[in-house]
Amino acid sequence: MGKVLTIQPVTRIEGHARISIYLNDDGNVEEAYMSLMSLRGFEKFIEGRPAEEVVRIVTRICGICPWMHHTAANKAVDGCFGVTPTLTGHKLRELLQVMAHINDKILHFFFLAAPDFVLGPDADYSVRNVMGVVKAAPELATRVVKMRQLGQMMIDRFAGKAIHPIAAVVGGFSKPMLESERTRLLKDAQILLDFSLYALDYAKNNVFNKYIDVFRELGVINTGFLGTVDRADGSFRLYDGRQRLMKTDGTFVDFEGDDYLDYIGEHVEPWSYGKMPYAKFWNEGFSLDLDAPKGIYRANTLARINVCDQMATPKAQEALEEFRSEFGRPAQATLLYHYARLIELVYACERIIELLNWEGITDTKVRAKVEPKGGRGVGVVEAPRGTLIHDYTTDENGCIKEANMIVGTTHNIGPMNMSVKQAATSLIKDGNYDETILNKVEMAVRAYDP
Amino acid sequence: MGVTTALEALSSCSGCEIAILNLGEALIPLLTEQIDIVHAPILMDHKYYGQCGDGGKSLQIPEAVIGIVSGGVSNEEHIEVLQEMRKKCKVLIALGSCATQGGIPALMNGQDSEQSFDAIFQTLSTDPGAGRPDRIVPKLLDRIYGLDEKVVIDLQLPGCPPNPAHIAEVIMSVLEDREPVLPTKSVCDTCPTRRQGKGVVDTVKRFVENADFDPNKPISDMRCLLEQGFMCMGPVTLAGCAKRGVPACIEARVPCRGCFGSVRPKGNQLLDMMNALASNGIDCMSVVDRRSIQRFCGAHGNLRPKKKSAVKEV
Amino acid sequence: MSYEPKIIAFCCNWCSYAAADLAGSSRLQYPPNIRIIRVMCSGMVHPEFILEALNKGADGVMIMGCHLGECHYLDGNHITMARLDMIVELLEDFGFESERLSVTWLSSTEPDKFVKAVTEMTERVKKLGPVQGEVQTA
Ligand code: SF4
Ligand code: SF4
Ligand code: SF4
Ligand code: FES
Repeated sequence: MGKVLTIQPVTRIEGHARISIYLNDDGNVEEAYMSLMSLRGFEKFIEGRPAEEVVRIVTRICGICPWMHHTAANKAVDGCFGVTPTLTGHKLRELLQVMAHINDKILHFFFLAAPDFVLGPDADYSVRNVMGVVKAAPELATRVVKMRQLGQMMIDRFAGKAIHPIAAVVGGFSKPMLESERTRLLKDAQILLDFSLYALDYAKNNVFNKYIDVFRELGVINTGFLGTVDRADGSFRLYDGRQRLMKTDGTFVDFEGDDYLDYIGEHVEPWSYGKMPYAKFWNEGFSLDLDAPKGIYRANTLARINVCDQMATPKAQEALEEFRSEFGRPAQATLLYHYARLIELVYACERIIELLNWEGITDTKVRAKVEPKGGRGVGVVEAPRGTLIHDYTTDENGCIKEANMIVGTTHNIGPMNMSVKQAATSLIKDGNYDETILNKVEMAVRAYDP
Repeated sequence: MGVTTALEALSSCSGCEIAILNLGEALIPLLTEQIDIVHAPILMDHKYYGQCGDGGKSLQIPEAVIGIVSGGVSNEEHIEVLQEMRKKCKVLIALGSCATQGGIPALMNGQDSEQSFDAIFQTLSTDPGAGRPDRIVPKLLDRIYGLDEKVVIDLQLPGCPPNPAHIAEVIMSVLEDREPVLPTKSVCDTCPTRRQGKGVVDTVKRFVENADFDPNKPISDMRCLLEQGFMCMGPVTLAGCAKRGVPACIEARVPCRGCFGSVRPKGNQLLDMMNALASNGIDCMSVVDRRSIQRFCGAHGNLRPKKKSAVKEV
Repeated sequence: MSYEPKIIAFCCNWCSYAAADLAGSSRLQYPPNIRIIRVMCSGMVHPEFILEALNKGADGVMIMGCHLGECHYLDGNHITMARLDMIVELLEDFGFESERLSVTWLSSTEPDKFVKAVTEMTERVKKLGPVQGEVQTA
């Protein structure tokens, strides 16, 4: 075999990854892998911990989406202890979880992905970053930084900690919301909604239209999709609902989180610490073959936008209609993850306003009575990076006996590998490669926001 | 042009980096004027093995005045990156509790990690027969280490996540060539809750019920959570999380779990907490899981696999 | 090579250290494995000392104090007692067998009891073998 190109670290993503591209003697791509480099073992070291403490330990799986792990774990422990959270507790959790989506989307689109579009994929690596964006478009950058900070501080002020939260508790929430807090949050939420509409417009004019060819070609693969929809009407949901697994042709099955083991399996490859979930339900096994993938579905923004019947809020629904009229359902182009991300941003802002306007939100019955005991619970939420599943079993003292987690990012590891291979194969020919080409390969990964 | 700065993250969750971003608007002058980032995987595209990935076998990081490393050391690649950072940076800062004392991932030090890591690839949902990956991926070490167990560290900045104000202070102190001003007291010292002295509490409760407080009254009106019978680790934890005059968890009316680590640099939170409980006549055996108390500081040999229980003799 | 453990003995000034002294001047034989550290009262032995000793390479730790009721600071040895359960449990948390710690009460006139305690402890630690795992550095 010829050469190996090692892109490490994969940059402007949130985890630790490496891309290895194997070229043959003619300089064409023979194999390409994206490996996840870190392994920490949360599933094992929470064994023996009191379940109500675990909800504030598993947050450290990811410092960018700690609210997702926090709320999924709380749901799972509710299940173990057999408790139903009070309605207000339930809604406060959703409020915070959806709020956390807002910062994440701003962060990902503008801080991590935008440099490729604002400065161009071929800009020099030393300026192709958020510092470069600040210099090239100071007004936009300042506004973005302000908005992200606003979102983050809304959470921090109300819930004590935005990063590695503690305020969601088994049985509900740790404190009620005061009317004064509600009014202030509502005011800030309105500012974020305005910004989200601006962001979508900005991206449509300056990114999606400008780079439409890149969008239609880079890293494109055909897969199924997994997301969460409302139990009653199939509309888009982030915090609670049933899971929907869609095939490439748009047909789907819905299932409850509790039954995930019947639908999802995890494949292990020797070259990555990340496990690769696949659709066990389809009974076709697992294969990353570009022309005939097996069991491969994707999660995260584009997947959710594809599986839902409609958005549950008006502005987001308008955006979805426009999106579908242009790209169909399910849309497959990988870079459309960015577009879908901004539609979700609009939804998240509208949804928190809805929740803040719900009359029970300031009720003081925030936590139900809880008693530690043995049981099993599965908690599912939609994390920015995909459907997040925490499955715990507790012993009679209410300590964790067994835990299984399928983390959002992992659903897309298989597909990311396919996109990397697709991008590398189509861009690297006869030994010709350069920095821009390799950055484009990374752009295919970045769209998934791993 | 600002001072050259390199950022790295080892066994981490990225929360420390988000804490840096949480400086908010102060971030813009910091990034554009005060510091000049030369390497930072989460923000910019500098690569270890050349920009085209064909630059040889040894990992390269550019020289910098300030080096900031988050996350603990858990695999062979982390050692390589950390040593390269030490070599290339004048002032090396350990950012966050993972870097300073192992953090949550070091909970793994409390068990047989070989067995556990294998088990992760054999769960309810994994394909039968799967084994632990061993190609391309770096080999895991025997346990998780704090950075100072592997290289000399110039400044320790604990917290999970650390307080953005402290991050700014440490960077400014390097720019101004002075000692940083950081907290040295305990979380309790920064806590406004009402303390009435010893109560009738003789056991500790699990946090399965909310604290007793009037939401309409300020925190200073709520009785200390330890005095309410909850395990609150404020007394044995380094201060620093209070952003609005109240420790962060207490602000959410939830007890402290010690994320800034021990008050004394090489202290031991578990030992200190148990000693404090015992000396106050609270039954230590009522603590359900002591390992949970050590959850942020499992490096430095503070958490080890459990030895078989022995027969007690007095 | 036979293994010779290192044992740190914290002896309170008033009874146990005096007993050790007497054992010496009476030329009683006892294993050379112990290193005595004199403290004013057994109640002064903070749990951290015990852990530190084991971490720094000791294979066993003995605490020796006055008979209950005879502590020269009234309740020093009761404090020791109260902490004992906790420390025994904690030793296991830190990866040490609880048998590596022993507590003995004796008066200044009981050198034979001192010898017996030291001999027994030495035997016990020999059976356990050296402290496993690495010793904490820096
Ligand atoms: S210290 Fe906390 S925030 Fe920082 S990397 Fe570790 S877990 Fe994440
Ligand atoms: S024990 Fe907890 S609640 Fe009490 S003063 Fe300390 S930090 Fe505050
Ligand atoms: S109160 Fe304790 S656990 Fe909470 S943020 Fe502060 S130091 Fe960390
Ligand atoms: S003086 Fe001997 S035990 Fe207190």
